[in-house]
Amino acid sequence: MPETDVKPSPAAPTLVTGTGKPLSVTRLRKTYGGVTAVDEVSMEIAAGEFVTFLGASGSGKTTTLMMIAGFCEPDSGSIVVGGRDVTRLAPQKRGLGFVFQQYLLFPHMTVWENVAFPLQLRGVPKAELRRRVGETLEMAGLSAMARRRPRELSGGQQQRVALCRALVYRPPVILMDEPLGALDKKLRDQLQTEIKRIQQELGLTVIYVTHDQEEALVLSDRIAVMRDGRIDQFDTPQELFERPRTPFVADFLGAANFLPGHLEERSDGDAHILVRLDTGGLLRARPQAAAGGARVRAAVQPGRLALCPPGDGFCTGTVETVTYVGTLVRVTVRPLGGANTEPVRLELPAGRAPALGERIGLAADPADVSVFPDVLPDPEHGG
Amino acid sequence: MTMAGSVLAPNPAPAAAPSPAPRKQRTGRALSDRRTRFGLLNATPVVVYLLILFIYPIFSTLMLSLKGEDGAFTLHWYTDAFRGANLEILLTTLRISAETSLLALGIGFLLASAISRLKPLWAGLAMIVVVVPHFISALVRTYGWIILLGDNGVVNNVLTDLHFPGAPFQLLYNEIGVVIGTTAVMLPYTVLLLYAVMKGIDRRLLAAAASMGAGRITIFRRVYVPLVAPGLVNAGVLSFILCLGYYLTPALMGGEKQTMVASLIDEQVMKQNQWNGASALGIILLLLTFAGLLLLKLLKSAGEALRNRGTAS
Repeated sequence: MPETDVKPSPAAPTLVTGTGKPLSVTRLRKTYGGVTAVDEVSMEIAAGEFVTFLGASGSGKTTTLMMIAGFCEPDSGSIVVGGRDVTRLAPQKRGLGFVFQQYLLFPHMTVWENVAFPLQLRGVPKAELRRRVGETLEMAGLSAMARRRPRELSGGQQQRVALCRALVYRPPVILMDEPLGALDKKLRDQLQTEIKRIQQELGLTVIYVTHDQEEALVLSDRIAVMRDGRIDQFDTPQELFERPRTPFVADFLGAANFLPGHLEERSDGDAHILVRLDTGGLLRARPQAAAGGARVRAAVQPGRLALCPPGDGFCTGTVETVTYVGTLVRVTVRPLGGANTEPVRLELPAGRAPALGERIGLAADPADVSVFPDVLPDPEHGG
Repeated sequence: MTMAGSVLAPNPAPAAAPSPAPRKQRTGRALSDRRTRFGLLNATPVVVYLLILFIYPIFSTLMLSLKGEDGAFTLHWYTDAFRGANLEILLTTLRISAETSLLALGIGFLLASAISRLKPLWAGLAMIVVVVPHFISALVRTYGWIILLGDNGVVNNVLTDLHFPGAPFQLLYNEIGVVIGTTAVMLPYTVLLLYAVMKGIDRRLLAAAASMGAGRITIFRRVYVPLVAPGLVNAGVLSFILCLGYYLTPALMGGEKQTMVASLIDEQVMKQNQWNGASALGIILLLLTFAGLLLLKLLKSAGEALRNRGTAS
């Protein structure tokens, strides 16, 4: 393992923390030949916050990032970093940090020179430059390879160098464009932890772009879920996961099951709302504004469903497939009753796997059930 | 074993010395390897071909250059070459070659960097425009230049009509003429070499430099030029070496003072029937070429050392 000789060491106490500045984006818009890539995107990002733009390719997340970086000019809207309007500035005048998916280290410079480069541009005195480059490399566990060339490093090490190069000059905001996209799973997990640690230690404001929802959930203080150039929901991971505001968010973050049905009239002062599913069962959902009788789709994450004796839950069905995924087992259940029903997906602890063909009931905590009016486009679309 | 060594070594020195096994033993071991013997067998035709067509002629030229009129060993053809008019010709050759390679490098850099920024289709067309003149006989091309650059040539006529101060200029039969002609000959080489290097540069590196605050000039100086540098060295040395032995264009476009070594050899062989002196000049040209290649190597290792020095802190 080329990574094992790198031992992350605690940050030097002299490192300046809290360098992150707030960033605000107002009604940002960009069209490419009549196609709207980014449509009126607005958001406020606090200093020291880790924000992720999450979306599929073509959702406008990268375009938004490129506009913040200055690599592409918005048609309208404004970008303010730490109180300074940078909307029309060239990238080199914005002073932001950028970490690219392809690392883009300078091949003719050593690791040390790569990290020193932005400081040299700023005319930092030699002694201070040496100290700051040294501290930054040490923090990323790269001190031992300061004299190597980028091509002599593994992908993970190269991306660490790129990270050092982006934060050594203490930019107000660091932008990261799928920085771990080219790495394998194990390394990605390791670097996620490290990015998060450095970001928290130094109080960096980070905007991170990814299409990997798991990565977004692990890293972010808040996630902006993007679709078709718009922000569907901008919230903490917990809010997004537990209270998705659109079917798209429910589907994208947790690959939710969507169960069609209609709302029952509320009865006996029950705090929950009741959904009569097309398969015949009655599902309790958390309280939310909805009119009785309306067609709805109830969304439940596969991991929030539980098994119960047949007839007890909101749905009874037969086990169709059982797939082991490490400590989890993925199960699909074909509901009985009702025509053309989709199978329901579950994730259970590996020890609780039902047998194939077994008749079981499904239950869900009402707090985990979201209800959406059935007028929006199909969640599969664009996902 | 070697692989494990390089992986385990914390920071392998670039020129790590191989295991100090006695030379004889190693050669013997290498010969006992079946693949080595098979390789040698395969290489034999090429070796024979090179021996007959390259090594033998060069060797006999060398012998010729060391033979006096009486057939005895002498070095006076070489001392002659470094004396009086011959020395001047040698120096002129070096100077014109240096001027040509610098000019070809400069123009080639501009052309290649412009072409490398074009869309593929246009870049292809531009490359054809640069390379196609090379398909035409050098003689025809040189006469083309003579027509363009003569006292009543196109260039001077246009300049005179524009009342350009000092026009008409003497553009032929002097060093300007020779350098224009040889530069035109060398240009395709420098453009092709530099274009290949520039095409290989990831332009996003320049964007990366901009993102961390570098202006255009800094990006050019600190990122672009260092990345192109190997190509610059190659192209410069190549055009210098090619120019050293170039005959046709300097002979037709130069004057008395621009006689180059190749013309001198021609004169000695064709007019004076002086084969020994011509051989000595030929050997000197060959050695100069080797010197050029050595310079290339030195420049490369110097560049490497310069880069490494910056990290010594």
